[in-house]
Amino acid sequence: MKELKILLILIVIVAIGYWGIEPYAHSVMHGEIKKPDYKYSDLQTTALTTGDPVKGKELFMANCASCHGLKNDGINPGMDKNAAIASFNVVPPDLSNIASIVDHKFLAAFIKNPQEATKNPKFAMPPMAQLSDEDVGHVIAYLSSVAKKDLTGKDITVEACGRCHSIKYQKIQAETPADNLKAYLGKVPPDLSVMGKAKELEYLETFINNPQNGLPGTSMPRLGLTQEATEKVVKYLDEIADPHREQRNKLGVWVLGYLVVMAGLTYAWKRKIWKNLH
Amino acid sequence: MRLMDWLDERLAIRQLIKVMLTEYYVPKNINFLWSFGVLVMLVFAILVVSGIFLLMYYKPDSHLAFDSVNKTIMMDVEYGWLFRHTHAVGASIMFLVLFIHMARGIYYGSFKPPREIVWITGYILFVLMSATAFTGYLLPWGQMSYWAAQTITTLFEKIPFIGPDLVVWIRGNYIVEDATLTRFFALHVVFLPLLLIVFTAIHLYAVRIPGSNNEDGIELTKEEKKHGKGVPFWPVFMAKEFFVMSVFLIFFFYLVFYQYKFAMDPINFTPADYLQTPTHIYPEWYFLAFYEVLRGFFFSQNLGLIAFVLSMFIAAFLPWLDTSPIKSAKHRPIYKILFWIFIADFVFLTILGKLPPTGLYAWLGFFGSLVFFAFFLTLPILSKIEKKKVAGGR
Repeated sequence: MKELKILLILIVIVAIGYWGIEPYAHSVMHGEIKKPDYKYSDLQTTALTTGDPVKGKELFMANCASCHGLKNDGINPGMDKNAAIASFNVVPPDLSNIASIVDHKFLAAFIKNPQEATKNPKFAMPPMAQLSDEDVGHVIAYLSSVAKKDLTGKDITVEACGRCHSIKYQKIQAETPADNLKAYLGKVPPDLSVMGKAKELEYLETFINNPQNGLPGTSMPRLGLTQEATEKVVKYLDEIADPHREQRNKLGVWVLGYLVVMAGLTYAWKRKIWKNLH
Repeated sequence: MRLMDWLDERLAIRQLIKVMLTEYYVPKNINFLWSFGVLVMLVFAILVVSGIFLLMYYKPDSHLAFDSVNKTIMMDVEYGWLFRHTHAVGASIMFLVLFIHMARGIYYGSFKPPREIVWITGYILFVLMSATAFTGYLLPWGQMSYWAAQTITTLFEKIPFIGPDLVVWIRGNYIVEDATLTRFFALHVVFLPLLLIVFTAIHLYAVRIPGSNNEDGIELTKEEKKHGKGVPFWPVFMAKEFFVMSVFLIFFFYLVFYQYKFAMDPINFTPADYLQTPTHIYPEWYFLAFYEVLRGFFFSQNLGLIAFVLSMFIAAFLPWLDTSPIKSAKHRPIYKILFWIFIADFVFLTILGKLPPTGLYAWLGFFGSLVFFAFFLTLPILSKIEKKKVAGGR
């Protein structure tokens, strides 16, 4: 009984210490993580759902194709990669699947004013003020018609993050060279190989949703990903950062089971030797 | 038995077994807290074994270190993650076990005559273990590794006259760099573990002579222990130790498999960057109390540094600070209160150590630090009072 009391005291002290160093310190240092806003409610634009893809393609060719390609529809960008890097320090994305991963309301606001939508005043793409709301609706309808629907977490991560971020351990190299990224953003964006461990998943989700929430002043633009796309990216980052989780969970059961048996045997041995002592 | 005879002729092995195990008597009136010594040995063994496996793949080079840990060991090597988690959790749990082992010594007066050498060698082991942990922490070359090393080595700058030169000498460069990593690696894997083994041997030898203390703090003669009041170390006491070890291992491997994150700072999964300081820099949990003493004297850097060094070493002088003839807190009501205030203060400082040192927290740290030292400085006075009491005078 006395020994159990001592054990209890130890457990209480360790538990208080643990609570103070982990959850409590964490709440003081990081505060509450804001909830991601997938409605992008700060943007005034409304997404038109009644666009015409055929008109959209015409508008795309006239307004977007000088910089952006669209592989799904066999459209190559008017500007080659190196020329784009030389002009903007960043490669404009191929827009094949953009409508599957980016929220349409965000996309509409982005086309009209990229700096405001991304919350990045240095964003390289100029505002497309010449397009009316209706035109934007057509373009989005066109983009939706060509976009693949069931993209994996890896596909989305490469499409959404791969122009700036490398994922070294997955042999994924950022599309834009490091020196140009540094000139464009101020620093080379971090490698994402173990980002799933470096940051909490909840934080990552909020951060991707709005980088300014997690890191005010960061040059990472807001991407406008949908909830589904964001969650897939976070899940992918988590999986690649911890590829052995399943193996660990399985082995853990065996090791702990073995140790419980050991504890039973050693207790029996102790009883056998000590029973004649008192 | 032939082998035993053969060995006995050459090494007197039967005599050795008697002295070390079968005729080394441990008092019966001790609780499981006395098993924490063997737990320290167990964790040390786990650290050595897992460390050797890590050593086979780790690269002590500032360009390769991070990836050799986070890619090669954690992802490519079969069960590499198991060795890394075991090593990281082991390092953390080592200090938990050490703190409990030391707190037991303080509570029951195990540092008092004739056990001063046991306490001193034990304290040296604690300091060596701290140095081992600190040097090992740099090796994964993450952000927190790097900045912890940068911060702690900067402290040496304050030493009069030689400080700035000493810092460069320790780092092997003006900043923490490849040279620092390589030398910390050498210290962590060879020099410090060797010293730890040597001092463990002395520590165990030193406790074999006066024997273990007990809950009552009343010394038993060898005869008393042999006839009723003690049990032979082998097999009787060890039977209990094995049970304690098994239970401990359940807890330990539960942490390794399911809660290993507590021993790994997330910031350390970002590679070291000497151009970017993390928002908060703090050491691992086991140094937080001492770190808080350093920050506690926020109004004077020099005073903070002196207090920090003192806080790390003051407990080594316990045998001379506490000279009361009564050993165990069981029979010392005032000491008991002081002890629990000290423990509460230590936990309090540990928690504060991770919080930002501003406003109220800074002042709480200052008062917490004062309470920390007050425990040690009251002991000589308490000893005098208790001496008078025992002698019957007032």
